[in-house]
Amino acid sequence: MTKLRLEEVSFAYGSEPVIKEVSLKLEAGVFYGIVGPNGAGKSTLLKLLDRYLLPQSGTIFLDNRNLNSYSLRELAQEVALIPQTSHYFPFTVREVVQLGRTPFNSRFQQPTLEDSSIVEASMEATGVTHLAGRLISDLSGGERQRVTIARAFAQQTKVLLLDEPTTHLDLEHQIRTCQLLQARSKQGVLSVAVLHDLNLVANYCDYVFVLNQGELVREGPPGEVFTPALIEEIYNVSVPAIYHPKTGRPIIVP
Amino acid sequence: MRTQLRRFGGVFLILVISIIIATAVGSVSIPFRRVVGMVGSKLPGVGSLITPTWTKAQEVIILQIRLPRVLLALLIGGGLSVSGVLFQGTLRNPLADPYIIGVSSGASLGATLGLLFFIPQGLVGIGTLPLFAFVGALGTTAIVARLGQQRGQLESTSLILAGVAVGSFLTAIVSLLMVLRIQNLQDVYLWLLGSLSGRGWKHLLVALPYVLFGVMAALWLARDLNVYLLGEETAHSLGIDVQKLQRRVLVTGSLVAAACVAVSGVIGFVGLMIPHALRLIVGAEHNRLIFHSFWVGALFLLLADTVARMAFSPLELPVGIITAFVGGPFFIFLMKRGSGIHD
Repeated sequence: MTKLRLEEVSFAYGSEPVIKEVSLKLEAGVFYGIVGPNGAGKSTLLKLLDRYLLPQSGTIFLDNRNLNSYSLRELAQEVALIPQTSHYFPFTVREVVQLGRTPFNSRFQQPTLEDSSIVEASMEATGVTHLAGRLISDLSGGERQRVTIARAFAQQTKVLLLDEPTTHLDLEHQIRTCQLLQARSKQGVLSVAVLHDLNLVANYCDYVFVLNQGELVREGPPGEVFTPALIEEIYNVSVPAIYHPKTGRPIIVP
Repeated sequence: MRTQLRRFGGVFLILVISIIIATAVGSVSIPFRRVVGMVGSKLPGVGSLITPTWTKAQEVIILQIRLPRVLLALLIGGGLSVSGVLFQGTLRNPLADPYIIGVSSGASLGATLGLLFFIPQGLVGIGTLPLFAFVGALGTTAIVARLGQQRGQLESTSLILAGVAVGSFLTAIVSLLMVLRIQNLQDVYLWLLGSLSGRGWKHLLVALPYVLFGVMAALWLARDLNVYLLGEETAHSLGIDVQKLQRRVLVTGSLVAAACVAVSGVIGFVGLMIPHALRLIVGAEHNRLIFHSFWVGALFLLLADTVARMAFSPLELPVGIITAFVGGPFFIFLMKRGSGIHD
């Protein structure tokens, strides 16, 4: 069982503290959402989890081993990150997804049969198989996002970190992406997504962390966390308590 | 593997044919067969089987003047293109070229200092000019790379701005020196224009190791560059040490460009045009891109240099004029068409 643990992690850009003594425990099989207003430190927290940034104090443990003790390549075999911004050069979709196998291959190694079947399966899972030969620079925003997710799937990591994977997507693709991540979590992947849309979090995430000004202010299942009082406290917006008639999960509208 | 061999074979054939044609044509035209014969007669093994049917003068023209120049054109064209691939890749900017971070102005300053102060004093020979240029180019790259860092990380925009700023500063020094020491103006000016005229085996041998090393290093870095193109965070998450990669790519690109500038002066636009055009044709995958950029860039500069020799024969144009003549409109075409790269 994959476990991720943060112990009093703090991070600052220069003298500007962004994450203040955050402690979390995460485990495999759960789809986590991170929410909070702009500037709360959500993206920074994800970058710390992928060691793209190093905490000034505190420690992060992956499977009870200090994250700093992993080599970059080892880490890449365990943790995949989908950042907020990507660049789109004229690579074919298959080439991009194939790059997800980088941590497993040496420099001049041709892709093995296993690599190829993982690549095909990843494209299948995100529904981009029919685009395999197209250039990613020619695709729409929604299609690109699915290719990026397929690339992360091809990495076959135990931990999947996503920074706003649903921005730029239409309603259908937002929902499909969340369902995909939910299904992936059920298969035993530890998924953590930063999401702005509270309704998506309420509907699909199993557990939510609320950040505000770099501090963890609340955590728990979305049904317990998303109370009108908390929304008011964090976002300065008053909302009525409404629940989905079928699922009973909270709906956040003014 | 078979297709790869066929690809190499095809390219090799094209290059050999181009070398023969480009060597044969010129102000004195010499039949192709004789050109092949002359080269053959110098090869170990087959050399003794060939009886000369040519004059000593013809042999000098072909073997001492044209052949090294043709080979140098191929080497410089290929080198500048691969250097362009590296800079465009690491700066993720399709309009970057080997000169963007001040390689050319640094080389110019080095060469100017050499021409004005050291060579006339008889301290060193004219043959050391490439060395001055080389030191100037690498020194400038080091300074610009240092200035282009933000919070200890190389940052594309800062790097380009630093390159432009340092470049203008150094160019101003070159201009000042030229105005103050007018007697050598012509030499420096011709050198700045970029030319392969009068370059021989010596120049070829100066540039060859750096360019070959650079191309090998580029191929070695190709996979990491592919990953890097997806973005720095993505590259990190795929196990690439982003800063180390940036440093390696910058050093390699600068080294190759500096070697090229050192022997041929500033030949613009090759390193910009060729990688960009090929990215549109063969895609961004760097193994392919580096391979194709090298041979297409090599052929392009050979063609440009042959035109430079022939167009107003016996007057020779600096090849930099020809490449700029083609490159200027191409640049505008790129601007109007969009970069082919989307954020």
